Amino acid sequence: MAVKKDYKDQKLAEKLRDRKYYVSESNPEFTKDVEKLGQTAAHMCYQCGTCTGSCPSAPRSSYRIRLFMRKAVLGLEEEALTDPDLWLCTTCYSCTDRCPRDLAPTDAIMAMRNLAFRRDIVPRNFLQTVQLIYKTGHGVPNNDANRAARKRLGLEEEPETTHKYPEYLPGIRKILDHYRLKEHADRILAEGEKP
Amino acid sequence: MAEVKKNEEPRIGVFVCHCGTNIAGSIDVEAVKEYAKTLPNVIVADDYQYMCSTPGQNKIAEAIKEQNLTGIVVAACSPRLHEPTFRNATKTGGLNPFRFEMANIREQNSWVHMHQPEEATAKAKDAVRIAVAKASLLEDLVPKSVPVEKTAMVVGGGVGGMQAALDLANAGIKTYLVEKSPTIGGRMSQLDKTFPTLDCSQCILTPKMVDVYRNETIELLTYTEVEAVEGYIGNFDVTLRKKARGVLTPKEAEARGIVGGGCTGCGDCANVCPVIKPNPFELGMAPRKAIYIYHPQVSPLIYTVDFDACVKCGLCVESCGDKKAVDLEATDEFMTVKIGTIILALGYDIFPIEKKLEWGYKNYDNVITSLEFERLICASGPTGGHLVRPSDGETPKRVAFVLCAGSRDSTGVGKPYCSRFCCMYSLKHAHQIIEKIPGAVPYIFYMDIRSFGKQYEEFYYRIQNEGAKFIRGRVASITEDPVTKNLHVNAEDTLLGRPVDMEVDMVVLAAAIQPTAETEKTRRLFGVSCSQDGWLLEAHPKLNPCGTTTAGVYLAGVCQGPKDIPDTVAQAEGAASAASIPIHRGQVELEPYFAQCIEEKCAGCGLCVNQCPYSALSLVEKNGRTVMQVTEAKCKGCGTCGGFCPGGAIWMQHFATPQIVAQIDAFLLGGEE
Amino acid sequence: MSGSNHQYAFFLGCIAPNRYPGIEAAAVRTSKNVGIDLLPLKGASCCPAPGAFGSIDLYVWYAMAARNLVLAEQMKMDIALICNGCYKSIWEVNHKLKHNDELRDGVNEVLKEIDMEYKGTADVWHLAELYYDPKIVGVKKLAESVRRPLTGSKVAVHYGCHLMKPAKERHFGNTETPMWMEELVAALGAEPVQYRNKMQCCGAGGGVRGYDLAHALDITNEKLTNMEEVGVDAVTEVCPFCQLQFDRGQLEIKEKFGTEHRIPVLHYNELLGLAQGMSPDELALDLHAVDVEPFLKKIL
Repeated sequence: MAVKKDYKDQKLAEKLRDRKYYVSESNPEFTKDVEKLGQTAAHMCYQCGTCTGSCPSAPRSSYRIRLFMRKAVLGLEEEALTDPDLWLCTTCYSCTDRCPRDLAPTDAIMAMRNLAFRRDIVPRNFLQTVQLIYKTGHGVPNNDANRAARKRLGLEEEPETTHKYPEYLPGIRKILDHYRLKEHADRILAEGEKP
Repeated sequence: MAEVKKNEEPRIGVFVCHCGTNIAGSIDVEAVKEYAKTLPNVIVADDYQYMCSTPGQNKIAEAIKEQNLTGIVVAACSPRLHEPTFRNATKTGGLNPFRFEMANIREQNSWVHMHQPEEATAKAKDAVRIAVAKASLLEDLVPKSVPVEKTAMVVGGGVGGMQAALDLANAGIKTYLVEKSPTIGGRMSQLDKTFPTLDCSQCILTPKMVDVYRNETIELLTYTEVEAVEGYIGNFDVTLRKKARGVLTPKEAEARGIVGGGCTGCGDCANVCPVIKPNPFELGMAPRKAIYIYHPQVSPLIYTVDFDACVKCGLCVESCGDKKAVDLEATDEFMTVKIGTIILALGYDIFPIEKKLEWGYKNYDNVITSLEFERLICASGPTGGHLVRPSDGETPKRVAFVLCAGSRDSTGVGKPYCSRFCCMYSLKHAHQIIEKIPGAVPYIFYMDIRSFGKQYEEFYYRIQNEGAKFIRGRVASITEDPVTKNLHVNAEDTLLGRPVDMEVDMVVLAAAIQPTAETEKTRRLFGVSCSQDGWLLEAHPKLNPCGTTTAGVYLAGVCQGPKDIPDTVAQAEGAASAASIPIHRGQVELEPYFAQCIEEKCAGCGLCVNQCPYSALSLVEKNGRTVMQVTEAKCKGCGTCGGFCPGGAIWMQHFATPQIVAQIDAFLLGGEE
Repeated sequence: MSGSNHQYAFFLGCIAPNRYPGIEAAAVRTSKNVGIDLLPLKGASCCPAPGAFGSIDLYVWYAMAARNLVLAEQMKMDIALICNGCYKSIWEVNHKLKHNDELRDGVNEVLKEIDMEYKGTADVWHLAELYYDPKIVGVKKLAESVRRPLTGSKVAVHYGCHLMKPAKERHFGNTETPMWMEELVAALGAEPVQYRNKMQCCGAGGGVRGYDLAHALDITNEKLTNMEEVGVDAVTEVCPFCQLQFDRGQLEIKEKFGTEHRIPVLHYNELLGLAQGMSPDELALDLHAVDVEPFLKKIL
């Protein structure tokens, strides 16, 4: 267990806090969840670094896919899910393509993102996409400028999707409601707006 | 045919082993023993901690004597471990050793049913009941002794094959050394220096090559391959294909009546040959002619004609002159030899690393393999030992080494195993660069440094001290600058936690190794299995690493699994020792599991003869009738004929039909309610 | 001509119909000219965006993609689409559901609520692979449909990510040095050019464009710089999201970084449209953020 330092100076206590890794920090359930959701045997990772070596985000940030795999394997749930770098993966799949242990680090990241969402940890832009899809069926919906362009091209103003056939929207909403996605999205967005 | 004591009442002794807690931990041994006492024909049942121990074995011998037993059952581990032990104990007690039956209640029971003790115990009782039923019908059998031909064969003329052949020959055994290429020497001839001593490879090898060539007990057959194999331990008939060399040795010339003729290795022929081909010894980086030798130190020093390339212009014949050594009409010849024991030393090839597209081999000029590096850095190689960039001939200053290239790879493209010696040779290569090119810096991209052998870790220390740079990260990709042809090596320095883009002049891939293309065909000829990773399968990885499950065939060198030169030579010596034993003993015992013809029942139809995979059966005339006869030495007791004979006229010794039926009946009809 | 044409249900996605309708118009017309009929897939929704949506809840992603698949199954038709992202959602979910009973049963339980059932009877194709496949169109037939060869233009190819990767779960072969899209470009008379790191991601995916625009743009900027290094007249791709990232991205890069690139961005269907003689107006090229004029000057 991490040693607690009850120093009278809070700042010093924070600066000097125990950084050691203790097995008690590990949550083996977290590892299992990541592996099940991501459908990949993350515990087989031998930390070769091919993934980070292939990653487009690594050279321009502190994002390290190899370290996320390490944290998944060690069950460091808190550290992994609260890391803002978790959302810098572009899902380009280069790491998965090259992993010599035949793992899918991209899918491990997606799994961790899913698990973060379950704890209400998710950037707002994702939730906005959910709301747009709930409302219109599209993540990037039509707009007037586009309608005018479509008309000019001899197309119908609305494409043959839920835009032209809004009667399909209840079906879509039913699916989203089954997973209570809108409910969670609304709630998290609202909480974020609190002063 | 063996004796069946039909008039005798079977008297069986049953011994149940605890094997410490291995068996007793899951099975109620006591209960099994008590159950055994209730079985028909069981006179005595006992249990013991370790039946294989001396007191355990003594129990068997004593029980036989005291109780006048006719058969023994031991319920313990797998017969693969202690069948010989208990057969011996049975023999000590005065019974024929084949009146012993083993019930495996460990590997096939207690070890796999550890969490189901009740079911495991019930299963053990079944196993004992079945064994007792068979033991009640076992008969006296006598193993057959066959003589062993006092000749050995080593297939493969690299350092492993050469060492094995030398050991066998020096032990007084005539040995054929068969090598598919025109010269002995193998991979070691291609190396420049060897780790960790940095000995010149060819310098330490050529004395052995000379020894082999000069040794009168070794018959050296180069440019020869194995064509067919018949027979069994002590009595192999090996047919060899002596490929058409197109060039006569002095001996061959003499045999043809050409006085003072035959190849002297002068090279006049190659000088005039118009056909140029890549030299495989130099990995295609240097040329050779259609009539060629790989390099000046080949043994034997005899030229070879590549008939696929030769245009039969005859200029070589002309230039050879009176020696008349060139014979462009030569064809492959076959010879069959009788061999007692065989050693396979088939060596290895490099994995086709171009399959790993991310590293650009064969796409980018300045990405080469480690073996190509060896030839370039070797003073007798295509560039006289000067490391140059293939793209422009310039001397590289920054060289990256990619370790584990194609090894430790579970993607299905590369190999899952570690190729073992690449860490060490990459350290060696780094040293050579530092030594030969002033100002050059080697960068070693690694996952681990496996410096496992004697003086190997010290070598790693030395190379790091000399200035080699180490980056712990597997190379993700390599890209080429289209103008300079420099390479960009992309990886992560995992220790630093930062991605790396390193521009270098040259990249050396420490490519994985794999069995040669001919290994598959050759091993099947000898009936040798391969393991899951493709290398040849040893009899037991720890206790019998030089043998195979095919009696009389042994393994040496990398063909059994990646290893360095010290381990190759050690294994070759071990294989030679093992292979010499049957030859020195002069005879070998075959287990008496042969088929036997019950002549009264045999109709002489001969249908069984073609069924036999070992050609062990034939039809003979006996007392005016045609009946089948078994050549016992060839019979492996596989049971094909026994199961097939429509008249039931074949008796499979030790696995006879009444014995098998008794086991089935005991299983299905016996048992507790 | 339509009698013997190959017919597919046209899955539109979002960005093509709602931001670059020229791609939609071009796709229908150009495909018809090479023997492919793209029929309306009524009621389709967002695929849903694999990066944005899958990051939140993979099970909803499966269900939403399955719903789109069922619409095609009901039409008794295979799907053709024009976007790498949609390919990942629609093709990959189709593939997963076909081979994983547990997943399929789970999805069908949800679809049951809206009277739908995924049966696995439809296949999914990217239009680019249909163009490349000689059994459907092929490079030769594409070349034959060209009325206005794009001769004199140098075009960089951006493969994108979700179509071909990971190679072990796709069927497009070599993901390190592919050349098949270059062949598609060459068929139009343009000169495909190689540039540093052509297989790198555009930076938009995985929700990163919305989460950290500057980060995404830095990745895009690297690609644009590499293209400029060899000199190109345009970049082409087969993914409207990559298109958005490269096109609008150049404006955003200028605004945020002060760096200016002026590389016209054209979806392959737009290129094909131009090559088959469609006018820039008919392709609504004026909607593009980066002015396409310099490229048009080279080819018109």
